[in-house]
Amino acid sequence: MRDSSDSAGLKRAPAPRRTLAITGADAFLGRNLIGLLEDDDRIGRIVALDVKQPSTAGPKTRFYKVDLTQPSVDARLAEILAAEGVDTFLHMAFLASPTHASAWAHELESVGTMHVLNACKERPVRKFILWSHTVLYGASPSNPNFLVESQPLRGNPESRFLRDKIDAEEVVARFAQQMPGTLVTVLRLAPILGPTVHNFITRYLGRKVVPTLAGFDPLWQLLHEVDALAAFKRAINVDVPGTFNIVGDGVLPLSTIIRLAGRTRVSVPHPMAYPMTRALWAAQLSEAPPTFLDYLRWLCVADGERARTALKFVPSFTTREAVLDYAGAQSLRDANLLRSVG
Amino acid sequence: MTKDPRDMARRVLGDDPFAAQPAQKSEAARAPSNKGKKLDARKKKAPAPKKRTAPPGAPAPADDAASVNIAAADDVASVNIAAADDVASVNIAAPEDVVSVNIAEADDVASVNIAAAEAVATAAVSAPSLRVDFAPSRDVAAEIAALQVQLRALRVEVEGQPEHREALAGLAEVLRGEGEAVDVEAPAVTGLQAPEHVEADESSPTGVSRELLSSDFYLRQWGRIALRDRGEEVDPFGYDPEVARRWEKTLDFLYDRWLKVEVEGIEHVPATGRVALVANHGGAIPVDGVVLATALRKEHPAQRQLRWLAEDFVFHFPYAGTWANRLGAVRACQENAERLLARECCVALFPEGVKGISKRYRDRYKLQRFGRGGHIKLALRTRTPLVPVTIVGSDDAHPLLGQSPLAAKLLGLPYLPVTPTFPWLGPLGMVPLPTRWKIVFGAPLRLDEYEPSQADDDVLVGRLNERLRATIQETLDRELRGRSGWFGIGG
Repeated sequence: MRDSSDSAGLKRAPAPRRTLAITGADAFLGRNLIGLLEDDDRIGRIVALDVKQPSTAGPKTRFYKVDLTQPSVDARLAEILAAEGVDTFLHMAFLASPTHASAWAHELESVGTMHVLNACKERPVRKFILWSHTVLYGASPSNPNFLVESQPLRGNPESRFLRDKIDAEEVVARFAQQMPGTLVTVLRLAPILGPTVHNFITRYLGRKVVPTLAGFDPLWQLLHEVDALAAFKRAINVDVPGTFNIVGDGVLPLSTIIRLAGRTRVSVPHPMAYPMTRALWAAQLSEAPPTFLDYLRWLCVADGERARTALKFVPSFTTREAVLDYAGAQSLRDANLLRSVG
Repeated sequence: MTKDPRDMARRVLGDDPFAAQPAQKSEAARAPSNKGKKLDARKKKAPAPKKRTAPPGAPAPADDAASVNIAAADDVASVNIAAADDVASVNIAAPEDVVSVNIAEADDVASVNIAAAEAVATAAVSAPSLRVDFAPSRDVAAEIAALQVQLRALRVEVEGQPEHREALAGLAEVLRGEGEAVDVEAPAVTGLQAPEHVEADESSPTGVSRELLSSDFYLRQWGRIALRDRGEEVDPFGYDPEVARRWEKTLDFLYDRWLKVEVEGIEHVPATGRVALVANHGGAIPVDGVVLATALRKEHPAQRQLRWLAEDFVFHFPYAGTWANRLGAVRACQENAERLLARECCVALFPEGVKGISKRYRDRYKLQRFGRGGHIKLALRTRTPLVPVTIVGSDDAHPLLGQSPLAAKLLGLPYLPVTPTFPWLGPLGMVPLPTRWKIVFGAPLRLDEYEPSQADDDVLVGRLNERLRATIQETLDRELRGRSGWFGIGG
């Protein structure tokens, strides 16, 4: 991936051959980003931090087995940062989908971020990049059609998934105030969709029959996986502190997305849907807990203008194209599955 | 009548539609097969037909296309020729990357040439009498050669079938009847003309992939039928032109026959540029937004599209909120209004908000408080002219008898109105009573004399707000004087 946009008044990141640390290195974003950065001459070394070595690790990558849920992990992280001379820290150890293991998720996301920040205080880095989500704004009928970065994060507090991530954003915001020497960039990504990514959105749209709420057809906004990676590359290459919504262009009604994905929709009245989803979630048969039904009801669409002007990030896929790209790969998977079964 | 259909087509078109494109020579020459070379050598002599660049996936709903030529297209994601009744010949020459070629439902395809394509992923011709299928393989040259052989066999087969000969003969007759020299640019093949944006997008690295992804191929594969009743894309605020078009007739009936809307002073709405219409709000189930939008569409010389701002609670309602949103309603808030005005839209504001629609029937046409003057601040900040709009009839259309907090709570709604028809008649109760409506547009209030910074001047905002309110209330009173008490009927 060539980066051609380091122009127009943006300060170039100094000194080639920088060292970059990535937490959550074996997750979708981390793994692909390591693969991309292996080819990037400006990066001298990649420090991969995870419990498992990423398969994309090349000669530039040095893997450290680090479990962010361990109590003494901040000291170990600080040691690694000092030993490797880390310049940029990418904190991406977050879960892409809601999990039943919410206590563990809390340790990883909320407490884990605290450990990471403690290490970055002990041994300061030049730049800190956080992966965050636009779903944290929360779906609500009182949302404006386009949420800007200054909007408070009003994600449903009953959802552990959202609350832990909001916690992480809050501590990072505090860290940014305490550490004026560190550039803090927070990227709030719209739900990622694409041919290779797996998360609860792809599983939801991958159902043969996709449940929606009767009479509700909110506008959705998605981000193609390539654009998600491009945004992080962008944030690594230029020094622009701040919070940015990273979103694909355009919106689509949920029903159109389901139709484009070639699926059938079944409408459930919303007073019934909440208890039903609770039961299904408890039985591990649904992709997300009932708090996520809000996103099937109301708007949660963010405005990507700031990323466009300040970060100079321009998505190359619209929401519709992301859906079509996903749908193409998904139908191929379906076909392969059919063949292997039959 | 000559026996050879190719000769007929050649005669009719004054050209050889079966001839290969010049660009094909080099590619076909690489083919190891002698047959391919031979074919090529034969074609070299023939003059090249008119080149036409195909847009990715351009469908040609050609009923009688004598010949379809697609030449030298660099990146063709897919070529689809569908529902062609009589295609004499299809030539696809020298495209660098053809992902797929589909010729479907063609009744009579005389010949298909796909030559020198570097990468043809799939090509399929499905017609009652002809079928060419070949799977992708690494050795493109060999594949092309094999294809040529196959095609030649097919052509012989076609020539041997009298019904196809007759069909082609008939086609030749038809074409000859329309003129000696039939222009190849006949409307039958206009679907293959290249759109302008192909060139423009080519420069950016993502342009090519974007082009491919927005091709019709994807739409046809994943939802031509499913997307029949909706737009493929909505605007950023959720307006779907396709849904709006489908509702046009119903709304026209509601407007002309049911509510018998009368309009006065519509010339006060400028034809272009940002403008905010400030109107009174009425009816327990507000339909004034959609009626006002219909009025502008039908009566305004520029057919201005209206975006109206609806209260939050509308979006709590199943169906109603979605429906209103697809037709142009947007949630009422400063951010949305500013964004819409920045797009130079015509925006309708109902500053009374919920107070306007939740007033009792006895208080009908008594303007409620005009919010806190948010609309005035908006107009000052964005330098937007305000057009006062008086709507008479909306308060009678859904007289509010009361509210049902218990049912509202059970259904998870913030408010459930009770009117003479709703909820008794179910969804049918949402239809307004057939009252007679009148919409009066007043002279625009221009705030150009003030500075945008004066939006913070609460005294000024209050004064302007009161002036606007008084204008609308005066017009309401004037219009009501001449109106029958019985919902305006017969008055």
